[in-house]
Amino acid sequence: ADPATFCRTNFSTAYHKDNNQELKFNKGTTTLAFKFDHGIIVAVDSRSTMGSYIGSQTVKKVIEINPYLLGTMAGGAADCSYWERRLGMQCRLYELRNKERISVAAASRLLWNTVTSYRGYGLSMGTMVAGWDKTGPQLYYVDSDGSRLGGNLFSVGSGSTYAYGILDTGYRADMTPEEAIELGKRAIYHATHRDAYSGGTCNVYHVQEQGWVKVFAGDVNDMHYAYAAERDADTAARRAAAGGEEKMEL
Amino acid sequence: MAQLPMWTSEGPALVKTMEVESESVSNAAMQAPRWSPYDFNGGTTIAIAGEDFCVVAGDTRLSTGYSILSRNVSKLLKLSDQTVLASAGCLADITQLHQRLQAHMQFYRQRHGGIMGTTSMAQLLSNTLYGRRFFPCYAFNVLGGLDAEGKGAVYSYDAIGSFERVPYSASGSGQSLMIPLLDNLVQFKTRTDPKPVLAATDVVSLVKDAFITAGERDIYTGDQIEIAVITSEGVAVEVFALKAD
Repeated sequence: ADPATFCRTNFSTAYHKDNNQELKFNKGTTTLAFKFDHGIIVAVDSRSTMGSYIGSQTVKKVIEINPYLLGTMAGGAADCSYWERRLGMQCRLYELRNKERISVAAASRLLWNTVTSYRGYGLSMGTMVAGWDKTGPQLYYVDSDGSRLGGNLFSVGSGSTYAYGILDTGYRADMTPEEAIELGKRAIYHATHRDAYSGGTCNVYHVQEQGWVKVFAGDVNDMHYAYAAERDADTAARRAAAGGEEKMEL
Repeated sequence: MAQLPMWTSEGPALVKTMEVESESVSNAAMQAPRWSPYDFNGGTTIAIAGEDFCVVAGDTRLSTGYSILSRNVSKLLKLSDQTVLASAGCLADITQLHQRLQAHMQFYRQRHGGIMGTTSMAQLLSNTLYGRRFFPCYAFNVLGGLDAEGKGAVYSYDAIGSFERVPYSASGSGQSLMIPLLDNLVQFKTRTDPKPVLAATDVVSLVKDAFITAGERDIYTGDQIEIAVITSEGVAVEVFALKAD
């Protein structure tokens, strides 16, 4: 048949239009989270796109479910914010009924239950639930296709491939909190630099034993110039040390 | 014919998905739906938050296809003395949405003995829109008002209820014409000179300029604009004429 038609019907990336496709595309965003010895770092961008139009550069993609649980937003913004808000209500009810905080595994399971009951209806959510409970820091990935995976490191969204490159290179379980935050920041920066659908500001949270703390919020454009200046200073220093011949412009 | 592979307790199975036309029919026919429950009635809405005021505006043109049905239909809904909702899109869905929200305002007043605040209304609107997640309300909303501290608050929505508090917002057919203008003139995002604090009168003339601008290049925006200025004294509405072409 006509290749153009085949592409249009089987490789649509439009919201809702790719529901029955074998191949699905992530909607614009980059979110990541990883566990390390001192807790969990959650880092996200803040751009939302409607096709090629940038709807907002200030979206809050980390949802503060309660003071010790965080959820991330990727895919449909309305779906993520609605169901994660509802998850907050379910977690509170759990606390009232059981007189203790809900575990991250149970909280992610509640979200998964909801999402599974709407399977096939076209919900679009790729979310990570992060928190610190009796068993330590825990991280789960839950999506609207029905996956629920516990793990140490996840990145979700159209910019996730770029973020994985930085994360996989720099990740060590015994990083200090400062190193871990810097890794999260860099991964988001690189993803926003190369992915057209990610951008805006980088928001970073650190999940600690007592709860989460927001540790960074910065414009990725400013981060670009800061990192470029750092890299150029390093290059200049190395060139000077190696003998100052005229080389390509930085 | 798209077929999804699926596992059942009896082993692998194939589930056929719904198709509008068969493969042999031409491309154009395959993409044209038989009937759409939605009609796009056009128009643009805008809201800008100030220090202690909020300006919400919408044009008054009602269109369908290439025709103008009316030059004098309001897009604004006064929910209380502190909150105004402006919606563009499909008038049928907008009317139903507005009526539901007004009913909710009354329930709240009766149950809680007070008027629903802007932030609560913002969440209610989001939940109401999400209630129709699988048959969306074709309404592009901007909610403007004063928050509990008396500061200007504007909330911007998508069709299924994703919302965010923002300094300003525009929705509807002229959105992509107005937002870049507002990015420059309100937020000073695309310029480096210092941003002045805007008074209500400055914002109103900015809104008029924005609609004149959008009206030039968008066929669905024009005729008149209704501008509501919300302050601690209440809601004052002004009507401003635009080109009728």
